[in-house]
Amino acid sequence: MKKLYLTSMAAGALMLASAPAHAIDSTGCGLGSMAWRGQSGIAPQVLAVTTNGIFGTQTFGITFGTSGCDPNGRVTGGTQKMVLAFMENNMEQFALDAAAGHGETLDTLAGIMNMDKEIVARKAQRNFAALFTDPNIDAVDLTLNFIEVMKA
Amino acid sequence: MLRKRGCGYQVICRAVAGAAASFLFCISAAASDFALSPAWLALGHYQPHGNGYESSVDSENFFLSADGKINPQHELDATIALFQSNDDKTKCLFPARYKLLKKHGLIDYEFPECEELEKFYDDLRPAGVTLLFTDAYMNNPSSLFGHTLLRIDTARKGTQLLAHGANYGAFTAGQENSVLFAVYGLTGGYYGGFTVKPYYDIINTYNNIENRDIWELNLNFSSEELDFFVAHLWEIGHTQSRYYFFTRNCSYMLMETLDAVRPSLQLARQFPLQTIPLDSFKAVYRTPGLVKNVNYRPSRQAKIRHRYKQMSSAQKKAYYQAIGDQDYEMQGLTDAEKADILETAYQFVQYQYVAKKLELKDYRRQSFQTAVARSRLAEPGKISDPEEGKSPLKAHESMRATVAAGFRNGEAFQEISYRPAYHSLTDDGFGFLRGAEINFLNTTLRHYDERDKYVLQQFDLVGIRSLSPVDGMFAPISFQILADVRRETNPQTEKEGYTANLTVGGGGSYALSENVWAFAMTNLHAAYGGFLPRNQYAGAGLGGGLFADFGRLRLLAEVEKIFASSKFGSRMFYKGEAAFTLDRNWALAANYKYEQNYGRDTEEFSAGVRRYF
Repeated sequence: MKKLYLTSMAAGALMLASAPAHAIDSTGCGLGSMAWRGQSGIAPQVLAVTTNGIFGTQTFGITFGTSGCDPNGRVTGGTQKMVLAFMENNMEQFALDAAAGHGETLDTLAGIMNMDKEIVARKAQRNFAALFTDPNIDAVDLTLNFIEVMKA
Repeated sequence: MLRKRGCGYQVICRAVAGAAASFLFCISAAASDFALSPAWLALGHYQPHGNGYESSVDSENFFLSADGKINPQHELDATIALFQSNDDKTKCLFPARYKLLKKHGLIDYEFPECEELEKFYDDLRPAGVTLLFTDAYMNNPSSLFGHTLLRIDTARKGTQLLAHGANYGAFTAGQENSVLFAVYGLTGGYYGGFTVKPYYDIINTYNNIENRDIWELNLNFSSEELDFFVAHLWEIGHTQSRYYFFTRNCSYMLMETLDAVRPSLQLARQFPLQTIPLDSFKAVYRTPGLVKNVNYRPSRQAKIRHRYKQMSSAQKKAYYQAIGDQDYEMQGLTDAEKADILETAYQFVQYQYVAKKLELKDYRRQSFQTAVARSRLAEPGKISDPEEGKSPLKAHESMRATVAAGFRNGEAFQEISYRPAYHSLTDDGFGFLRGAEINFLNTTLRHYDERDKYVLQQFDLVGIRSLSPVDGMFAPISFQILADVRRETNPQTEKEGYTANLTVGGGGSYALSENVWAFAMTNLHAAYGGFLPRNQYAGAGLGGGLFADFGRLRLLAEVEKIFASSKFGSRMFYKGEAAFTLDRNWALAANYKYEQNYGRDTEEFSAGVRRYF
């Protein structure tokens, strides 16, 4: 991701390049990657800490074989894999939506699960404690909890 | 069999198509015209170059002919030959070329099965194309002008979070912090290419990490055009091109890509010199029949601010207790009011962590506490996220010309200024990031009556200022960087000459009211010029001012005391600027400047008209 934060005013020279370039990251899994080149670079997830590792690290589960993310950085796979990939990347927004009982992430998950939006939203809010069992929950456990709650 | 569909493109072919043997002739006659057709030229990203054409794409693998980059005809011949061959692997790289040639009857062969390409379609499930514009981001030099990217809307059940963004950018190999970044960026030292990632990643990056609003233009593509777009994205996605920050940049390449889908658009042609993302966004918006819909996705910071504004004073008090002391009691409030507070507090906790103001441990605990507390309230909150922002589509144009007249120490002058980009504090701020100023290559020529003399008064290489008020929730730094050449007078010798100046400064801003901000900065100055005593000086200044934005009327007042290594550089100045919007692209402006140097006063006043175009 863009590591260039303007920490020093002495960056004046750099300002010459103040054009609409957009440095591309190659952080890989879950954070986008080279779609066609397959350079997924799964290891150095600098930003994973910022965006995703909110309630836990992005532990890749045994449940789904490897990780939930696609080496091409695309939305792919079956229901479980998509839910996991989505949770890995949207955990913190999902927590808010689930707690509030409405929101875009719930609508999206309802779509992935092929369920009714209202039902997903209601179940998520009512069972919030069963979804977020502790502050350090990771995406894999959250996904398992979510699927469990939705089945019930 | 071939004859029937063989020559859709050219009338001449049909006349001779009676004989089976003439088919090949027919193809080549059609192909020679077709090679210079808008559709083929746009698909190959060919632009006029000298007497011929040159493709913007630099990757060799994009061309099937050895001189394909500069010869659309040879490239067309080679493409037709490819689809006659058995090279299925290469065919799979050019699905859009196949579709185009097939449509025009230049080939009549089956497209092979291409597993990766089919997977691409299957993952994307394309349903439409959307052009995205993200606001300026003042903390990154390469994002000052905002950014544009494309989204391939998805037909998947759920929401567009499962769509994909297609971003064209430079591969900078982690050199963003070095001077090389500027040099390479301006001279084409980097290659640019497309990457595709889920839209939720894009939202996380722009809305949630960089706190930039996103604007979406849904394009009015037919299903055939959509199909062609995805096919072309696949083609171009395998290639790279030299990246130039100002011209062949993220936004420019998107224009060429849209042109490839609908050659009549001719969008790329509108940007021969510079491609400012917002300009390209406006160009698409203004193209008849191209845009269906405009959507707004507020940044996290915009959401927090908007939600806070809607709170009652009791809510605000409880909100500060929640974010400050982790006190979630919120006594005396209804469940709905509590829900508003907790949802906003949760967003603020996320903001703080991204801004590195919270430790991971505290961040997790506070996120968890606010979310759990919120989940226990069954009632929905009453306040909402912002539904519409100030659309950058309605912002003034990027280029500015100013004509003004005034007096300098009693001597009358007239001046004209031209600024290729982008926005000053006193320009109408509608649609721009508030408090952000980017002046690029602003040039002022002046004529003095008495001496009947024309002079270059001022040339701003670059001027960047970011005023961003500190409040109970956000504590951004305000800063400025100015590099210019200006004409100065030495009051002692009465001599005039040019100085090259660099000013960098940092400080803070504070909102006295919604419309009036105060700011203070410490600045460092360096100047160089043959006419200066000892040719140069360095200085430090303490400055401050007021910036008032009442919509149509903007006022800026500044004062600075500079202590410098030469007496010439040590000075005190006061500046005032006022501008009034007549309509979106016209404004009246007045400037006043008073400077004390060597104990002498210089006073200057001017008034004029600004035209944006």
